[in-house]
Amino acid sequence: MATRAEFLERIGREVRRAPGLFPASAAERPARPGEAAAAVRRQMAERWPEALERFKREFDRVNGIFHRVGRLEEVVGVIRDVAREKDARDLITWAPGELGLDLRPRLGPDGLSVAVAPSDGQGDAGRRYREAAARAQIGVTSADFALAETGTLILISGAGRPGSTSLLPDTHIALFGKERLLDTLEQVGIMLEALHADPAGPTSGSVINFITGPSRTADIELTLTRGVHGPKDVHAIFVEGR
Amino acid sequence: MSEPALKTPFAERASVALKDAFLQEALTIATTKFIGLQKESFAGFPQGDALRDRARAIKEATLQKLDHYLEMLADNVEKQGGHVHWATTGDEARDTILKLCRDRGVKMAVKSKSMATEEIELNDALERAGVRPVETDLGEYIIQLAHEKPSHIIAPAIHKTKGQVADLFSRELKERFAADPEVLTAAARKELRQKFFQADMGITGANFAIADTGTIVLVTNEGNGRMVTSLPRIHVAVMGIEKVIPSMTDLMVFLAILARSATGQKLSVYTTLVRGARRPSEVDGPGEFHLILMDNGRSPQIAGELREALYCLRCGACLNVCPVYRQIGGHAYGYTYQGPLGILLTAMLNGNRSVKDLAHASSLCGACQEVCPVRIDIPRMLIALRRRLDRERIAPLTERLVFKTMRRVLASPALFRLSVALGRVAQRAFVRDGRLGSLPLFFGKWTKTRDLPPLAARTFSERWKDLA
Repeated sequence: MATRAEFLERIGREVRRAPGLFPASAAERPARPGEAAAAVRRQMAERWPEALERFKREFDRVNGIFHRVGRLEEVVGVIRDVAREKDARDLITWAPGELGLDLRPRLGPDGLSVAVAPSDGQGDAGRRYREAAARAQIGVTSADFALAETGTLILISGAGRPGSTSLLPDTHIALFGKERLLDTLEQVGIMLEALHADPAGPTSGSVINFITGPSRTADIELTLTRGVHGPKDVHAIFVEGR
Repeated sequence: MSEPALKTPFAERASVALKDAFLQEALTIATTKFIGLQKESFAGFPQGDALRDRARAIKEATLQKLDHYLEMLADNVEKQGGHVHWATTGDEARDTILKLCRDRGVKMAVKSKSMATEEIELNDALERAGVRPVETDLGEYIIQLAHEKPSHIIAPAIHKTKGQVADLFSRELKERFAADPEVLTAAARKELRQKFFQADMGITGANFAIADTGTIVLVTNEGNGRMVTSLPRIHVAVMGIEKVIPSMTDLMVFLAILARSATGQKLSVYTTLVRGARRPSEVDGPGEFHLILMDNGRSPQIAGELREALYCLRCGACLNVCPVYRQIGGHAYGYTYQGPLGILLTAMLNGNRSVKDLAHASSLCGACQEVCPVRIDIPRMLIALRRRLDRERIAPLTERLVFKTMRRVLASPALFRLSVALGRVAQRAFVRDGRLGSLPLFFGKWTKTRDLPPLAARTFSERWKDLA
C-alpha cells in the first residue's frame, strides 16, 4: 500500500505534467453562504405559492401523494386515514421536537403503537427504536426542504431524526411548511453550502437524503415496479399554518 | 489489476450475440426506450445545454488540481472520524477490504451497485476469503444468482426475460414464483431485507465525493444504497480517484443532468449524501466508515491521451446510442466497462493489448459524444487508441501494412491515380451485380460481412476536369 504522501505525490506529478484540455474552473460558490441562504429565504417568502404548485405537479409525476392541511393538528387526521387504509399497527416518527408535534397521545387511542426516535442513539431507547423501525408500516418525518423543480423531499439526519424512519416502513409521510419550499437545485446548493459553513447549524448528522417519490426499479424487462427496497408510498403533507 | 485474458476472441463473442434472437430484441427495446427518455427529458429542459458545459468544465477543473482535491477530501473524511485508504492498484483496494473483513469478523457484506468493485472483481475475492457478498440492486442480484456479469451499466439484467428470472428465483429461493415483475420484485425485497439486517458490512461505490465537505454521494432508485449505508455496522466506499468534485454547488450541476442522461428522470429517487459514520446521537448508521481511494491505472491518463475519459459519470447514455452496443450488447465487450466509453476505460485499466479488437468496435459516428452529459470526445480518443495499437505493433501485421500503404497512396496524387487505374483492372474478376462481394487474401475479412461498391469507371477528379 502506498502512503498518503506517496500516492498524492504521484498524482501531483501527473497533474503538473498535463497542460489541461482547456481553461476551466469549478462552479462559483456563494462567497458568504449564510447571506446567500438568507436571500433565498427572502425570495421564497414571496414566491412560495408558485413553488408549491410546481412541487405538487412534480411530486405527483413521481407517484407521490400530496395533502394540504391548514393547521399542524390536522396532520393527525391524515396520518390516521393512511394508517387505516394500510391496516397499519406500528408507526415510527422523528422526535416531537423535530416533527413539531407528539403523535403518541394523538394516535395511541386509535390502537396504533407509536415509537418515537430518541435524541440519544446509543442506549436502550435506541435499540427499542431500531426494533420498532424494523417492523413498522409507517414512518413519519419532517422535510427540511421541499424542492419544487423535481418534486423532491430533502431530509437531514441527526439526533431525533433517523434516516431509517423514511426508509424501512412501507409508507413514508413527510410534513413541511411553506418556509421549506425551494424552487431549484441551485437554491438547494446554496442552502447546503450555508448549512455546512455554519458550525452551530444542524450539520451534526451523518446523512442528507434527497427523496424523489417511492422506491422504484425497472430491472426486470424494464417494467416499472414500486417499492423494491424503500417505501412503496410516499406522502407529503403541506401544513399551511401553525 | 488486469482481468484474465478472454478465451474467445471479440469477433466470436459478437457473432454469438448477433445470433441470439432474444438478446437482439431486448437490446432494441431497452436502448430505444432509454434514448427516448433521455431525449424527452432534455427537450423540456432548456438550461440543459449550459449545465452540460458547466459540468464538463468542473470535471476538467478538478483534474487540473486533482491532488489538491483528493487531499482535501481525505482531510475532511478523517475530520469526521472516517478512515481513508490509498490504493494504487486494484489488488491493493481488494486487499484492504479483505483485511477489514478479517480483522472485524465480517461474515456477510451487502453491496449496492458499484462499478469500482466490479472492476476489481471484489465478489470473487470475498467469496474465496469466506465472506458472503450479496448484491442488492435488483438487476445485480439477478446477475449474481445466475453467476453472470452485468450487460448494461444502468440495467444490468436486460438480457434476461421475466420467465428466466422467475425460474432463477424459484430455484435459488426454494419457492415457486410467477413470471411477473411485481411478484419477483416483492420476492427480492423480502429476501434482501433480511440480508440488510444480517450483514456486518455495507460496500458501495460513489457517484461523487465532495472534497469540501468530505461527503460521499450515492444515487439509486431502489433505496438499496440507503440500506447498505445505514444498517450494517461498517460502511466501506470504494471510488476511483476521478470521482472527486470540489463542492456542494458543483454537485447540484451534476445532479441536474445525471439522471436525465441515464433514465430520463429529473432526479433519481434517492440521492444520498453520506458524511462518515453515525454520530453518537444518531440511532442508525454504521459505527465505522472507510473510504478507499483507488487509482488502478487512472493517474497515467491525467497527462495521457485518455484524459477526457476521466470525466465519465457512468450514466450509460453512450451505450444506448451506440450502433455497435445496440447490436452486440454488453457481454460481447468482455470487460467490466462496456460501450464506447467502456472501451477507453478498458484500455486505461487493462492496457492497450486488451482493446486490440475493441478499439475497432465503433463506427466513429459520434452519437456517443453528442449524448454524453459532459461531452466527452469519445471518437477522437478511439482514433488515438487505434493509432497507438499500430505504433505499439499490437495491431495485426496485415492491418498495419494495409494502413501504411493506404497512407502512402493517399498522400501522393501520382500513386493514387496509378492504383485506381490498376484497381479498375484488378477488380473485374470480382464484381458481381455491380458490387464487390468477395475479395481474396486478407481483404476477404472485410467483404465477408460487407459489400463494397466497385471503383467507378471515372474518378471524381477526372470528371471535375471536364466540368472545369
